[in-house]
Amino acid sequence: MKAVGLVVLAAFLVAFPSLASDPFVLSVGVVIASYAVLATGWNFVGGFTGYISLGHAAYSGLGGYATGLLILRAGLNPWVALVVGALVVAVLAVPVGIAALRVRGASFVIVSIAVVLVLLLVFQSWGSVTGGSDGLRVPRPFDADVLRPEQHQRFFHLHAVLLGVMLLCWWVIDRSRFGMGLKAIREDEDKARSLGVPTVRYKLAAFVVSAFFTALGGGLYALWFGFLDPIFQFSILVGSNMVLMSLLGGVRSLFGPLVGAVVVGYATEFSKAQYGDTQLHLVAMGVLLAVVVLFLPDGIIPALRGLVARLRPGQASIREVTQEELVRR
Amino acid sequence: MSLVFQSLVLGVLMGGLYALLAAGLTLYFGVMRVVMIAHAAFLVLAAYLAWAFTVGTGLDPMLSLVVTVPLFFAVGVGVQRLLVARLRPATMTMMSVLLTFAVALAVEGALGLVFTGTHRRLPLSYAGARLELFGASVALVKLIAFGLAVVTLAGLHVLLKVTRFGQALRATMQHREAARLLGVDTDRVAGYGFGLGLATAAVGGTALALDATIYPSLHWAWIGPLMAIIVVGGLGSVGGAAIAALLLGVGQNLLQLPLGTTWAQTFFYAALFVTLILRPQGFFGGRLAQRF
Amino acid sequence: MTGLRVEGLTKSYGGVRAVDDATVTFQHGRINALIGPNGSGKTTFFNCVTGMVKPDAGTVTYHGRDITGRPAHKIAHAGIGRSFQLCRVFPRLTAVENLLAAVRPGSVLRALAPARRKSDVDRAMALLTRVGIEHLAEVEARDLSYGQQKLLELAGVLMAEPDTILLDEPAGGVNPALVERIGELVRSLNAEGRTFLIVEHNMDVVMSLSDHVVVFDRGRPIASGPPDAVRADPLVLAAYLGG
Repeated sequence: MKAVGLVVLAAFLVAFPSLASDPFVLSVGVVIASYAVLATGWNFVGGFTGYISLGHAAYSGLGGYATGLLILRAGLNPWVALVVGALVVAVLAVPVGIAALRVRGASFVIVSIAVVLVLLLVFQSWGSVTGGSDGLRVPRPFDADVLRPEQHQRFFHLHAVLLGVMLLCWWVIDRSRFGMGLKAIREDEDKARSLGVPTVRYKLAAFVVSAFFTALGGGLYALWFGFLDPIFQFSILVGSNMVLMSLLGGVRSLFGPLVGAVVVGYATEFSKAQYGDTQLHLVAMGVLLAVVVLFLPDGIIPALRGLVARLRPGQASIREVTQEELVRR
Repeated sequence: MSLVFQSLVLGVLMGGLYALLAAGLTLYFGVMRVVMIAHAAFLVLAAYLAWAFTVGTGLDPMLSLVVTVPLFFAVGVGVQRLLVARLRPATMTMMSVLLTFAVALAVEGALGLVFTGTHRRLPLSYAGARLELFGASVALVKLIAFGLAVVTLAGLHVLLKVTRFGQALRATMQHREAARLLGVDTDRVAGYGFGLGLATAAVGGTALALDATIYPSLHWAWIGPLMAIIVVGGLGSVGGAAIAALLLGVGQNLLQLPLGTTWAQTFFYAALFVTLILRPQGFFGGRLAQRF
Repeated sequence: MTGLRVEGLTKSYGGVRAVDDATVTFQHGRINALIGPNGSGKTTFFNCVTGMVKPDAGTVTYHGRDITGRPAHKIAHAGIGRSFQLCRVFPRLTAVENLLAAVRPGSVLRALAPARRKSDVDRAMALLTRVGIEHLAEVEARDLSYGQQKLLELAGVLMAEPDTILLDEPAGGVNPALVERIGELVRSLNAEGRTFLIVEHNMDVVMSLSDHVVVFDRGRPIASGPPDAVRADPLVLAAYLGG
């Protein structure tokens, strides 16, 4: 069942560019793929540890800038710059993680927001290096004779490959002892400590892996889009998009962030194309996030799975029995 | 020297407004263990209402408080009753941040739809008036804003310390279960606590509108400093938040001299990170911080 | 110097000394009980010993090694396990996963090995069988009854292979039949060589189960000895009757 789904998904990802009717649809595909990469990157820390970071734009933004600056200022090959840049971001994430992960819950969210806001200030002000508010033009990795649609096609596949690698890593961690420790942290951190889970090290490791992949996503986007503006790179909205997509799909599911990215990404791009870039999408995003938090905190995938399980006869046994027992106790 | 003194005075005036807003955040956190991200968005909303009121009627923006304070109180009660109280207690702190964040996005978007993204400034007859204060030249509007903050904080203090409702509120903040056992209707008190918190945003927003250019996304510039203040002060500590507000406000204004406005902003975040490394529970009480 | 020794342990919360210069020795290899009125600092004592909070002063040694203020997971690795008041499990993990979370990962590479390794799962199932909930192995902990969660918590503590186990109110909030079962489990685990330190309010349980009783009042031990002797101690009676 799962294998069939994977094959269908892979086939779709390979074929999508040739199915897309025009370059615009193709570019929307790249945007959605980029969302999926970022949301899945976010989920390495959000899904496993339950630490909700609203400021993951910090790492995608840094990844983009690191890639761009390494090409422009150090003359690196774009693809080398992409990987080196993400590694640099991962190293930077270590001290940030050490500070941020000292606190839990709401305080952690505050810190994650603060990181983005401070980076926005720095990248806007430090114009001599970052280009400041004027932005930074990132050279394209492909020759000029590669035309627009061809560019989109290549970048779509690059995003798909990156996404595949990330999903594989997530899957490996999910079923590993490391992953079990992370999930224990998510469920009850003190309890996990008392059972011998090295919580500080585990949280930090998940945080750094998440920052690394998110930075790769940001770098790839920078190479595709070719222009970075601090206002859009270090935006709370980018980070909250990752949260919304992951929550909507389901943070405890492998494909949750991907599903969320497709739904939210498609809706966003569709409404942008239809109605232009109005403030309405902010309202819609706020309302959608509130609805998810209030009514679907586990996301679409677990909700659907629960529905299927309930419709299937004979499957409902254990849960109902124990529900009764809970009442009786 | 006089420049430093000038900055010091401005810092204190700024700190007063910060303290008022931080008091609101402390109230939410106290009654529900909720970090209300939308506080700053409501602040900007109040500023827009003050602006629209003055532009529409030609009256002084301060009069808009007659409408906005009760309105915000009601909205606060509503937010607590209809949204926050619905969350499962187990995931309350984390999910409430997301929920209030969602509210902030919706408010910002609505402001953009109604008032457009154009930068607005209150047309005031006394906008350019300045006063000499201990040798420092201070804009009258800054003094009025500070005065509003001080009066409101004093009123809040009296309300909390003297009235029965204040007692119930403080009891709820300290120990919800115990307060309930003593016969306090903690759900209602929590609602009113939210209402009061949002009412401070109404006052703060009006004070802000006197002196600042406003635009819908302005609230992001306030969230960071406010969050830094309540973490440095220690979550849930009213006094701690006020002290932190004054110290950080003064520090920011003093740093503006050598660093300029933008870099001085980073002072808040530096203070936030230093606090987390040295004393995650905050410097002035509030031992709850680490858990939430 | 075998077992757990605590000397001069002190922990204050905002001016209140929850644990006040407490020096306690426990009988290694036996079932020790820690009793005392509410608020006498028993849980804070547990938290200090297991590294959940850092004590202000004093030393905790285990088998002669100083473990004072060490991180909680290091103390767990040293061989001290604990349960929590009111019972804490990982609600959205299945019963067997609750146990697998307590497996020590070893090296970095081994940490990435699958959690459901056969030998670990077998050990987890054996423990679930021992506490009698093996039929619920793949049910999420939040769907278990309170009593089942209590048994699951005990199995989880055992999974980490401690030789000293601290239980915070093992008989709290469960029906008499289950109290009996938990008591039997403790006895048989003790017979296998595990030391127990139990905080408990149910005096019947304390008297029937323990070999050695330590009485806490206002953050420090006021009496200790065999259950019968402690029960007759006038200091203890005074503390309990609010003297």
